[in-house]
Amino acid sequence: MQLSRRRVLLGTAALAGCLGRPESSAGGAAVDGTSSRAATGTSGATTSPRAADGPPLSGTGLPVEWELETLREAVVAGGPPKDGIPSIDDPQFSSAAAADDRLAPDDVVFGLVRGDDVRAYPQYVMVWHEICNDVVGGDRVSVTYCPLTGTAMGFERGATTFGVSGSLVNNNLIMYDRASDSRWPQVLATAIEGPFAGRSLREFRLDWTTWERWRTAHPETRVLTESTGYVRDYGRDPYGSYNPPGGYYTSEFTLFERLYRDDRRPTKAVVLCSRTPDGRVAFALDALRSEAVGGGEVGETPYVAVYDAALDTGYVYRNPEGVEFAPVDGAVEGPEGRSYPTAALPLDRQYAFEGMWFAWAGFYPSTEVYGRV
Amino acid sequence: MSGAPLVARVGRPIVHTWRVGRTAARRRDVGLVFGLVTLGYLLTYLVAVGDLAPGRGEVGVTVVADPLSRALERTGVTTFEPVVLVDLGAVRYLFAPGTALVGLLLSVLVGLNLAFTYLAVRLPRTCGVGTASAGALAAVPALLSGAACCGPVLLLVLGVQASGLLLTAFDALVPLAAVLLVGALLFVARRVDPAALSAA
Repeated sequence: MQLSRRRVLLGTAALAGCLGRPESSAGGAAVDGTSSRAATGTSGATTSPRAADGPPLSGTGLPVEWELETLREAVVAGGPPKDGIPSIDDPQFSSAAAADDRLAPDDVVFGLVRGDDVRAYPQYVMVWHEICNDVVGGDRVSVTYCPLTGTAMGFERGATTFGVSGSLVNNNLIMYDRASDSRWPQVLATAIEGPFAGRSLREFRLDWTTWERWRTAHPETRVLTESTGYVRDYGRDPYGSYNPPGGYYTSEFTLFERLYRDDRRPTKAVVLCSRTPDGRVAFALDALRSEAVGGGEVGETPYVAVYDAALDTGYVYRNPEGVEFAPVDGAVEGPEGRSYPTAALPLDRQYAFEGMWFAWAGFYPSTEVYGRV
Repeated sequence: MSGAPLVARVGRPIVHTWRVGRTAARRRDVGLVFGLVTLGYLLTYLVAVGDLAPGRGEVGVTVVADPLSRALERTGVTTFEPVVLVDLGAVRYLFAPGTALVGLLLSVLVGLNLAFTYLAVRLPRTCGVGTASAGALAAVPALLSGAACCGPVLLLVLGVQASGLLLTAFDALVPLAAVLLVGALLFVARRVDPAALSAA
């Protein structure tokens, strides 16, 4: 099914910007001057959720560019039944030194820092579980990873836990919360079905990086172990390989149909994507690697993306004044020659995550994209 | 329709197949074909579902906590949670009792079909089907059922996009293969005369 742009609904929520966490998403904003609208669409909700039971919700809905009914129609069974891919609900961690025995320097890990608590979730473990329900820095969180869209995203979970529903939309993991059984596509972070339909989660950044880089930046990190409560052939990736890159992760095909096909970039090109107050934007990570600083406009507002060589990732900032930044020795030089760490420019940093181009463009057909691959 | 003829109609081919099987089992060559095919199919099935894989040179056994309840958790239509990880150096085996049982059932059916087909090829007159090629037709369902174990894996290997219809087809593949194999077994056994077989 290739859905046309005519079926796209630019549903967004009012600008929030009130969560006070630079790396947490603050909700969407009105797009293109059209009337702002929460992402409720056709909710299909029949009961009022008890907020206390479910996951903590974002104060405003995140932008959703498709009607919820359209998204529900695009849901496919991925093969395994509900919880057939089991979430990790009692994660165990080791020291970095102990993890050296089982992680190669270039193996992918998803890094998380919350307060003094620093953790790494190896991709080779997460690929078999997709969700890790954890407590980090005293906060109950879920670390999630979808192999088919190459997206690692963190969510606050409150008293509940998330599980893998077994269904997919646009090839993306659909999570369910065990309090209400609402269905949450990971990339949207917004429920498309169930009591919480149309409501959005509180999300936070995970750093998609390599073990060597993470360990160097955070030697105190603790690392998720293979003691997950399940036995798996850890070390074998059923989809392909990131070290070296191969298989599904680099091929041009998708395992299931996508919501919308956009050929502005190769299918699996990795983009740094963000739902900004001015619209959706993606920066090609390869281009960012070579140029270190990239810019573009979303709506009419300038944005700047900077490359973090230490972690091989990037950050996106709203740059309404169009301030010029230039790379200098692993940092960024701003006005009057002042130097800033790449993660702390004097601008409003946006929640951004890495993902495969097809997945981002499928969910957000209106996205701007910058940087040639 | 009375109950007795129906029972007889269903029961007779089963009893006949049992007799053929028992008689054929006395032949060493048939037993060898059955054993090799059953073992080969079972190993292929376990590899295809991901329970049997190359090892990493380690040796050891890991058992999950509460294996009895975990063994009943499904990971697919006909696959279940593994409860024991066995590392044997060159081989790593994830023992999932439910998956192993399904695989064994399919493997025995494939083994019996091909053993009977072997009889048809070697002794077409005994089978009463006239020619070896006609007897060998019974092998078709057995070969088709090979897709049951590795269908979804093929999608990734070949880079084929899965449609809803294809996924539904995969879901039905294992049960369908089992039914086809049972049907083929009864069909080919019907044409074998156990008395002639023991005399051959």
